[in-house]
Amino acid sequence: MSDMRTARDADVAPRATDDQRDPVVPSAAAAHRGVAAPLSEDSTLAVEIRGLVERGEMDEARERFGELVTLHQRRASRIAYQYLRDSSDADEVVQDAFLKVFSHIASYREAWPFEVWFTRILINGCLDRRKARSRRERWFVGGEISSADEARASAASPATDPEHRLLARERRARLARAIDRLDGRQRTVFMLCHYGDSTPREVSVMTGLKESTVRVHLFRAARKLRGLLGGRP
Amino acid sequence: MIRRAHHLQEERLLDSYLAERNREPLDPPVAEHLADCASCSTRYAELTAFMDTLRRDGDAEADAIFTPERLRLQQQQIARRLAHVGRPTRVLSFPGRIVQRTMAASASRTASRWVAAAAAAGLFVGVAVGASFQWRSQRQSRPTFFAADSGSARTARTAPVAARGSIPADVVSDDVFLSDLEIALERPHTRELLAFDALTPHVREISDQR
Repeated sequence: MSDMRTARDADVAPRATDDQRDPVVPSAAAAHRGVAAPLSEDSTLAVEIRGLVERGEMDEARERFGELVTLHQRRASRIAYQYLRDSSDADEVVQDAFLKVFSHIASYREAWPFEVWFTRILINGCLDRRKARSRRERWFVGGEISSADEARASAASPATDPEHRLLARERRARLARAIDRLDGRQRTVFMLCHYGDSTPREVSVMTGLKESTVRVHLFRAARKLRGLLGGRP
Repeated sequence: MIRRAHHLQEERLLDSYLAERNREPLDPPVAEHLADCASCSTRYAELTAFMDTLRRDGDAEADAIFTPERLRLQQQQIARRLAHVGRPTRVLSFPGRIVQRTMAASASRTASRWVAAAAAAGLFVGVAVGASFQWRSQRQSRPTFFAADSGSARTARTAPVAARGSIPADVVSDDVFLSDLEIALERPHTRELLAFDALTPHVREISDQR
């Protein structure tokens, strides 16, 4: 977990090292690395909301923020769930991330895509939650996946055959265990690339790692997963 | 061996997979090699299948849990929480009437506590005075017995016994004890024991027979 300090400290106390750069105030190099020239839909919306908040039009800002939530909610929930493996925790983390975004919207700069900024906040929340959970689990034994989540996932499985359902369930459990065995940095990079639909360049901006480092972590994660899962999930 | 060295490395295959997924153009030499080399093409297909299955499974699992209904609820929850952001903190004011009532209630509670404390203190004092009085009376009566035992002083109780003649003191005390016992047995206070009492010969009757 300690290897993700860059993302962890994203909006609090950033430290700049070779691999880790200030995540809140993007450096020129980082901005150059991670940003496409035209503003995306969500970034435009975020800039508008920032303007509304600065003018004190809070009700209007809240209303527009709902659109932003709709745009990112599903992706955020997927990432948070894959990271935490608990739907309640994931739900709370997503809510907290959106609230944090709204509270600090004044500090948003369009030099970064909104998605990157938001994902940093979300990942920080997930890391905090994992840390708190591991602290708790030192004293209490916890399951990897809550039984309610497992039941919901099984019920929604397209396979109607009990045998196929069982196999799918085992496969999910194996995958969860394998991902959990990844090194902290590898896991974050893999999650963001694979489940967050982010490119290595975007992950580089989110985590403050060099793009080449992100690729190396991603490759190692994929190789390890293939080794753990025997070539097929 | 030389030919094998020209095969694509795993990193290049993964880069190609990511590029393809993000709809970016493949590196031309890599694309060319993949088209020509059956071995690398197979490896690439395996990697793609593995990664796609991982992704598909993960997304399906998350989507099964975060259904549209749940996402809608989550959105409502966020909106509810957002409604409190940026608004000044509300201070709850307590109505004066409730405060007065609370004060009156607490005053009556205090008075009842005083009454209870006074009753407890009175009880304690009463018990203490009673105990000391009893102790004092016991202390006053004790020298008469010692005097009777030693025979040095004559009390009202021992005087008639002593006057009867030269009967030893322990015999006198036994006599007193037995007469007390006899009186007690003569009149049983328990109704259930009356039948036994009727059947049992009394000490006096026995002594008379003798």
